[in-house]
Amino acid sequence: MSILRLNGMVLLAVALGIAACSRGKVGPTKGASSDDPSAQIPGAIVVDFKDGTTKAEFDAWEKDWGIDLEFNSIEGPQDGVTIAVGVEDIEGVLTKIRAHPAVEAAEPLKRYQATFTPNDPDFPKQWNLRQIRMPEAWERSRGKGAVVAVLDTGIAYDDYQSFRMVPDLKGIKFVKGYNFVADDEHPNDDHGHGTHVAGTIAQATNNKEGVAGIAFEAALMPLKVLDQSGMGVSADIADAIRFATDHGANVINMSLGGGGYSRVIERAVAYARKKGVTVVCAAGNTGVGQVAYPAAYAGAVAVSAVGPSGKRAVYSSFGKELDIAAPGGDKRAGPEGGILQNTIDRRNPSQSVYESFQGTSMATAHVSGVAALLYAKGAKTPDEVEQALFDGATPVDGKEWSEEYGHGLLNADESLKLIGRSTTVADWRPFLVAAALLVLVLLTLGARQRPGYLNILFSPAFFIPLLLATVGVFFARWAFGGATGAVASAVDFASLPIPDWQRIIFGRGRLANPLFYSALIPLVGSIFAVGWRGLRPVVAGLAIGFAGFLSYAAWARSPGLAYLPFNFLALPWLIANAVLCVFVARAMLKKGAGR
Amino acid sequence: MKLTGTVSLRDLEGGIWVLEGDDGRTYEIVGGDRRLRTKGQRIQVEGEVDAGAASLAMVGPVLKVKSYRPLR
Repeated sequence: MSILRLNGMVLLAVALGIAACSRGKVGPTKGASSDDPSAQIPGAIVVDFKDGTTKAEFDAWEKDWGIDLEFNSIEGPQDGVTIAVGVEDIEGVLTKIRAHPAVEAAEPLKRYQATFTPNDPDFPKQWNLRQIRMPEAWERSRGKGAVVAVLDTGIAYDDYQSFRMVPDLKGIKFVKGYNFVADDEHPNDDHGHGTHVAGTIAQATNNKEGVAGIAFEAALMPLKVLDQSGMGVSADIADAIRFATDHGANVINMSLGGGGYSRVIERAVAYARKKGVTVVCAAGNTGVGQVAYPAAYAGAVAVSAVGPSGKRAVYSSFGKELDIAAPGGDKRAGPEGGILQNTIDRRNPSQSVYESFQGTSMATAHVSGVAALLYAKGAKTPDEVEQALFDGATPVDGKEWSEEYGHGLLNADESLKLIGRSTTVADWRPFLVAAALLVLVLLTLGARQRPGYLNILFSPAFFIPLLLATVGVFFARWAFGGATGAVASAVDFASLPIPDWQRIIFGRGRLANPLFYSALIPLVGSIFAVGWRGLRPVVAGLAIGFAGFLSYAAWARSPGLAYLPFNFLALPWLIANAVLCVFVARAMLKKGAGR
Repeated sequence: MKLTGTVSLRDLEGGIWVLEGDDGRTYEIVGGDRRLRTKGQRIQVEGEVDAGAASLAMVGPVLKVKSYRPLR
């Protein structure tokens, strides 16, 4: 028995260790790739000798270092640049090499990702585009073929009466829009806000004029729903959402909010989403923990704003419906902290100006621009776009989700990398937590009541429910990725862990259903298992799986739960239910062994 | 309804005129003339809150000004 117990402790330690390691990986791997565009190539170094150093010379020296150097190119004999691969102790070897008098420099070999630096003269002032990694992202997509509808004060997109197109939108593609305020076909901007937002999404770029925009090869659809004072009514907004959807928009940008809940707008957003359109909205500028409508509707992506430091701007609203953070500017230290675009002078709409704005509207435009890039890169549905946006976002403070930043800070490059990947990588961390909890449960059982560790794990009746509750059928997408119709739905279900089936049933809202994220399913199972002993291993696997899933969700603070009046209740809810699951599992395992 | 407060220009979305109400709330000002829009001015407003209006400001309830008078 003592040996068994010891084995148990070792297993527990290993499981916890693996879980901890894999948890630790999230920050650094994501962080490293987003902080540094260059990546070190494993086992490779570059050594720069004094000019004119010959191969015979360094061939003699390299024996002491235990590596094999070669000239990097035909330039080698002149510039002395050499490389070596398969180096094991890189830092140790480099220290030795650097001590050699003929060595000018020696360092790990890095791969530089291609970046695109537009020639727009004020591009260097656009910290916001570097913050969301546009120079790398532009190498992957520039938005060609995507259509973004801008529901705002209009756009300075053509010359009509006294209206003039702003110079830095010349060459950008526009599709037919509409003016819902005046009910005519001239959605020209008489305010300046809409043109600024449109500029962030698709300012003419690499045109030696002004500034850059995100999806400058995408088409813009100007829809005027806000009047000269920046106000609009729900009927116009709902009509414009449906107009955009029916006229081929992929993305709807709504840098507007307020007016409270509107069933008419909510239905229009749901309609757009059903037709494959991603709806992106501003969280609001009140600076308090309440997301404004329409951002708060389940079908919309809610965006908060950050400044150059990456911290939430004081004016930005936040809350439990928040999805993602993006640069909105912070001008407290000066106008250079704002978002610079070409727009019109508010007092003279025919006059072009470059102005630095701040607000969650600006942040929203960044997300819409990146959504357009994702459609251009091959994304078909809002689910796909949102998943790429959220999974690609850089977590803030190590949290997978928070009220201030949602899934993190927008990262165009990482999100674009996620499009076109046929398999979604299953997350094994909940499974590892479940395994650790299983060991704990078994340790608390007396020798007579306890089933063997391996007997349990290798019994399909136990193991399969455990797997389904923590990772789902992890190979389903890989095996049946191209399926459509009913088969595709089945694949969707199978590839999600059971608690996340609520996403399919209740739609992919941002908040999890607390009944699925609870002990309810294992508890109901345990009632049936009272009468039917054969069900006990199944319920035990399910319960320990749920315990692992809920514990992991609590640990990662992801995601928020629906219906709970206060967000801080989510954590105790998850923990209490995880504990409940552990007790269900223990009861099931105990009786199963007592047979 | 009558409201008193201080007029202020918020540097948001290109510039938003608000009334920092003595009730602790921030109202987006719609209507009124140019003289109303004086930074730091204390005023009493006769107007109504338009609960159904959406706007690009998103700073709080929209206050439609019917008339106002400066306070000293």
